[in-house]
Amino acid sequence: MYVGSRGGAARSGFGGPTRERSSIKHLGHLKKLLPYLKRYKWILIICIFALLIQRWCMAYFPQLMRTAIDSLTYDHIDVNLSGPALGMLVLVAIQAIIYIPARRVLRRMSITITYDLRKRFFHNVQYQGPAFFNLFSTGDLMSRAHNDVNQVRMAASWGWVQLATIVFTLCTGLYYMFDMSVELSIYVLLPTPFVAITGFFMARGMYPYFRERQEAQARVSTLAQENLNGIRTIQAMAQEEHEINRFRQVSTEYIKKYYRAVRYQAFMGFAMSAITTISPLIILGYGGYLVLQGEITIGTFTAFTAYLMMVTQPIASIGWSLSMFTAAAASTERIFEVVDYIPEVKDSSGSSVEIDEVQGRLEFKNLSYTYPGGATKALNNVNIVLDPGETIAILGRVGSGKSTVLRAAVRFVDTPRGMVYLDGHDICDYNIRDLRRHIGLVPQYPFLFSATIKENLTYDDPSRGDEEIWEAAHAAGLDDAIKDLLYGLDTIVGERGITLSGGQKQRATLARGLIRQTEILLLDDCFSSVDTETEERIIEGLHAMRSDLSTILISHRVSTARHADRIYVLDNGKILESGTHEELLSKGGYYADLEAIQSNQDEDRSKRDRLIEKLQDEQVTAV
Amino acid sequence: MADPQVKSGDTAKQATGSAAAARGIDSSQEKLRNYSAFDAQLTHQALNVQMFIRLLKWTKPYRVTLISAAVLVLVSSAFMLLMPIMQNRVIIDMILAPGSPTANAAMADYGLIDLTEFLMAFLQIPGLAVALILYIALFCVQSLLGIAQQLLLTSGALKTLRDLRVQLFASLEQKPASFYDHVAVGRVMTRVTSDVDNLYNLITSFIQHAGDFVVFFMALFIMLDFAFDLTLVAMLVIPFCALATYLFRMAIKEIVRAIRDSVSSMNQYMQEDLMGIEVVQLSGREEHNFEEFQDRNKENRKQEFRQINFDVLFEMVNMSLPSIATAAIIWYGGGKVVQEEITLGTMIVFTSYLNMMVQPVTALGQLFGTLFRSMASGERIFQALDWEERLHEPEEPYELPERLEGHIEFRNVNFSYLSSEQILKDVSFKIAPGEKLAIVGPTGSGKSTIIRLLARFYDFDDDQIFIDGIDLNRMASHDIRERVGVVLQDFHIFSGTVLDNISLNNPNITRERAIWAANVVNADPFIQALPDGYDTELSERGHNLSQGQQQLLAFARVLAADTEILVLDEATSSIDTGTELIIQDGLHKLTEGRTSIIIAHRLQTIQECDRILVLHHGEVKEIGTHDELIELKGIYYTLHELQFQDSTRAAELTQLTPEERARRRARWVEMNSGSDDPTGGPGMGPGGIGGGSPVRPI
Repeated sequence: MYVGSRGGAARSGFGGPTRERSSIKHLGHLKKLLPYLKRYKWILIICIFALLIQRWCMAYFPQLMRTAIDSLTYDHIDVNLSGPALGMLVLVAIQAIIYIPARRVLRRMSITITYDLRKRFFHNVQYQGPAFFNLFSTGDLMSRAHNDVNQVRMAASWGWVQLATIVFTLCTGLYYMFDMSVELSIYVLLPTPFVAITGFFMARGMYPYFRERQEAQARVSTLAQENLNGIRTIQAMAQEEHEINRFRQVSTEYIKKYYRAVRYQAFMGFAMSAITTISPLIILGYGGYLVLQGEITIGTFTAFTAYLMMVTQPIASIGWSLSMFTAAAASTERIFEVVDYIPEVKDSSGSSVEIDEVQGRLEFKNLSYTYPGGATKALNNVNIVLDPGETIAILGRVGSGKSTVLRAAVRFVDTPRGMVYLDGHDICDYNIRDLRRHIGLVPQYPFLFSATIKENLTYDDPSRGDEEIWEAAHAAGLDDAIKDLLYGLDTIVGERGITLSGGQKQRATLARGLIRQTEILLLDDCFSSVDTETEERIIEGLHAMRSDLSTILISHRVSTARHADRIYVLDNGKILESGTHEELLSKGGYYADLEAIQSNQDEDRSKRDRLIEKLQDEQVTAV
Repeated sequence: MADPQVKSGDTAKQATGSAAAARGIDSSQEKLRNYSAFDAQLTHQALNVQMFIRLLKWTKPYRVTLISAAVLVLVSSAFMLLMPIMQNRVIIDMILAPGSPTANAAMADYGLIDLTEFLMAFLQIPGLAVALILYIALFCVQSLLGIAQQLLLTSGALKTLRDLRVQLFASLEQKPASFYDHVAVGRVMTRVTSDVDNLYNLITSFIQHAGDFVVFFMALFIMLDFAFDLTLVAMLVIPFCALATYLFRMAIKEIVRAIRDSVSSMNQYMQEDLMGIEVVQLSGREEHNFEEFQDRNKENRKQEFRQINFDVLFEMVNMSLPSIATAAIIWYGGGKVVQEEITLGTMIVFTSYLNMMVQPVTALGQLFGTLFRSMASGERIFQALDWEERLHEPEEPYELPERLEGHIEFRNVNFSYLSSEQILKDVSFKIAPGEKLAIVGPTGSGKSTIIRLLARFYDFDDDQIFIDGIDLNRMASHDIRERVGVVLQDFHIFSGTVLDNISLNNPNITRERAIWAANVVNADPFIQALPDGYDTELSERGHNLSQGQQQLLAFARVLAADTEILVLDEATSSIDTGTELIIQDGLHKLTEGRTSIIIAHRLQTIQECDRILVLHHGEVKEIGTHDELIELKGIYYTLHELQFQDSTRAAELTQLTPEERARRRARWVEMNSGSDDPTGGPGMGPGGIGGGSPVRPI
């Protein structure tokens, strides 16, 4: 009845991939929900029992009507009106007493089930690794958590009760009908199976129409969204008219699909009501004939009409309930695909190494790795040793495997045992969360949460003080930017806040990594969006904050790498060359080439400082 | 996007070191302010008659359809009401119980009894058969009219809203850049999509409910016609029903909002957590986030529980009231039957009608919900349509020749955006056809503004900017943009194939031309390496392309459009050196023989240009060739030194023989575009420059 509000939410919900039409064979998945229902077994039984009584009250209603009508029609029966009228009021009262608590409990139960499902869903997702997230996109997961869980709730709140009571209503309705006239009952019930079949096919037949409509609608909004996002490009290339024409086409296509869905619904509705009207016609015709023959009374005649309603309604809705159940079953499957997914990267069951104090010695020993489904090795015999307090730089072009090395150290890439060692122990022996507490990784793509800067920087430990935050922000070259913000550290950033520039985002994620002061810090190309001058400042900050801690950084720039104790150049997953800046320069290989081409970005500090001093009044900050 | 210092206004007070930071704040703060102006004008009136009338005007082309639908609603409702009369008055009173004491009471039957009698005599068949035929006929007519009505209504409403949607889109498409400086795209977006859908709900549910009420009043009329006092008795429940509906709506209004909020807060939280899952796991926040999510999940449960209490109560009332009314009809109406004031059939007709009448009243509550939502939607749509903010266009645009020569002149250009701060001060310069001009200057010096003015994104005074000696203000903005190709810093990828993204669906650009353009700017190798070449579908925002690849596509796009003049804002972020060289090469080919203005960030780019213009605080400080400006030892010299101060190396680079430079470049280009992608992640072919990383950035 209140589909209005919920339907709206579902419509604006999450696209997700187009799903298959659910079919009856899915129904088996529903048993996955049984553990969730078991807790409420007794409540469920009591409630269904109570609702059965309520249904019986409903079924008794036409009997009272019949008594009253017959008493009015036939002279030999005394007029009896207040009896049935009072009886009706009593029935209403009984129904109310039963219905309100029983229905309330059942609906609460269905909500509790969705609550439990969401809880487990979210909890399980939290511990998944990249394999999982490659399998399920964010949109897909959101759609499962939202649309599918709602689907299950529909079935849980309506379905069970519907199923239980349909049978009972049918039985009581049939009992009274047969009690009144066996012959008429048989004739009246003849068309009802067709009602059920039509209802079922109708519910199923709607599916392609709705899907087409949904897809057409998605095209309208995609086109609109893209156009508005890229409005500058469209306008700059003077393509407005083409785009408006395209939009008109897409919109027309959408209303066509919409119209088709409505038309299908209308005609199927007609067919449905035509079939359902056959039974009343039989009552009118054959029942009327029986009345004329004196075999049944007029009261029986009207009561039959009422019972017919009681019987055909549930039968007509069988199709609907069935399709709801199959949809819920398919949804259940989709939910449990996630809930039952076991993370590939797990803490090893054996004795895990206790870490209290980590030295910060990280060793990659013959590290080789092939991505699942990949044809070639992403990493091939990579040997890198990071001693405590050292800084190492990794260079190499896109796709050379740099990130994979770093990700292997925090087990975002699950390499076999015996390849990565922390302080001499295989990292697989560490508890994953402990490991990540001591090895920090700042990923390549800066991601900030829609929260204040402060919350973003202290994401791992909200209890950190402002002093620590400012220190990290300073080291990451972000402090000036923060001071310029209207609310300083309390400015909300991210999707629902202020949009920071790419460079600012990068520096913020860097600060988030620095603040943790982990023994080992891995920086995955964190300087690509900052200009050379800021980069210089950040490197200085890095030195200050991490002088006796170990760091590995990935960069494209020689100017960044040259400060490292050792430089590794990766190509095709292999170490191409390694050594100090000077060593590599004198080698005249890849690194030396790179250096020559990038030399314009090289800097000479003392000279630059002098120039800056000279120009301070001009406030030239960056080109 | 918005130029940094442009509208800094009061915030410009302390232009400290990081101008880049200032950019972020200023534009956002400004956006907030102005965007709220866009939304603040909404009245949020519950019943906005004016808006409703405006909406009706849009139905004009389809009024025949819609009026027919309305007429059919009336007719089919009437037929629907005749069916119980047929069943009870004709079949029960006339045929089944003719002998009962009440059968003779003179009650209305709307000619149905006469018709039956006539057909009985005419067709020579029993009354019951005639009644059945009539009943079937009534049913068919009523159903078919119902279908016709529904289809007409749907078609009319859908077409109306299609027109409205397209018009709205067209007006948004033509809004000037300044509009989008202030308004969040997401908010505008919903106006085109869900707000229009809401209006559809308004139109259809309005007519549908109007139909229900036609039934209500017709039934009421018939009942009054039958028996006045019994009608009153039967109607007793309606006020209760209305009151219950009203109270329920009031009670639930706040809860419904709370539920909606809790759901969206839960979804937002989950979405953000999923998008940042790597950070979550690296920070060891899994448990913490789970608990925060649980807070939201619990809140949702709490609100849902609250709603149930009301829901169940309301359902019960709805279920009980018709039963109570039926009891009343039997008790009071039965008495009247005994007194032979009404017939038995009449009494049963009353009970049938009662069920038809309760339904629209309870549905009214829902109608109000729809109405409120739709009114707000309608207001937002019309406000966007009315938003008078457009570029000033000449009344009689100058007819541009087939081909422009490409002279550009800025003559004492003074410009400021909305706020008072002047962005360009007396900017004057000339560019000869085919010349390349690099503009350099610190962030916020007004470089981007020059581009925006030339692309005619903003209004400015007459006689300031000339192309081939013609005042820009005398040309239609559309014409200008066909002649001036603009490459913005952030290249926008539209979903569609690579080809679509180059041609932008412009039918004048053939496939051959697009491929040719891609070839010229070095985009061809990586495009060929994509799974379906030029027909590869690109995802929105171009996630399957690297930054360098996007840049090359942007070049191809402009080259395919073949504009006489080129304005380009060079991307700042650093990409690996090989890619950068390829881009430089593409840029070189793109600008060849074309009058170009380039906002340059890189040494190579600047050195490729014929002249350099140094902009500082909106003023032209220096202009000339590289050597001239170096000689001048002014700002450019300083900037140059700052960036390339390691003079020996810079010299070494410039002193390389052309052959050596070409060789090094070729080596890089080859290394970075032709080789196999070692990672070979699923779905990505050989990577080309910056091939895809196999690990999805979570």
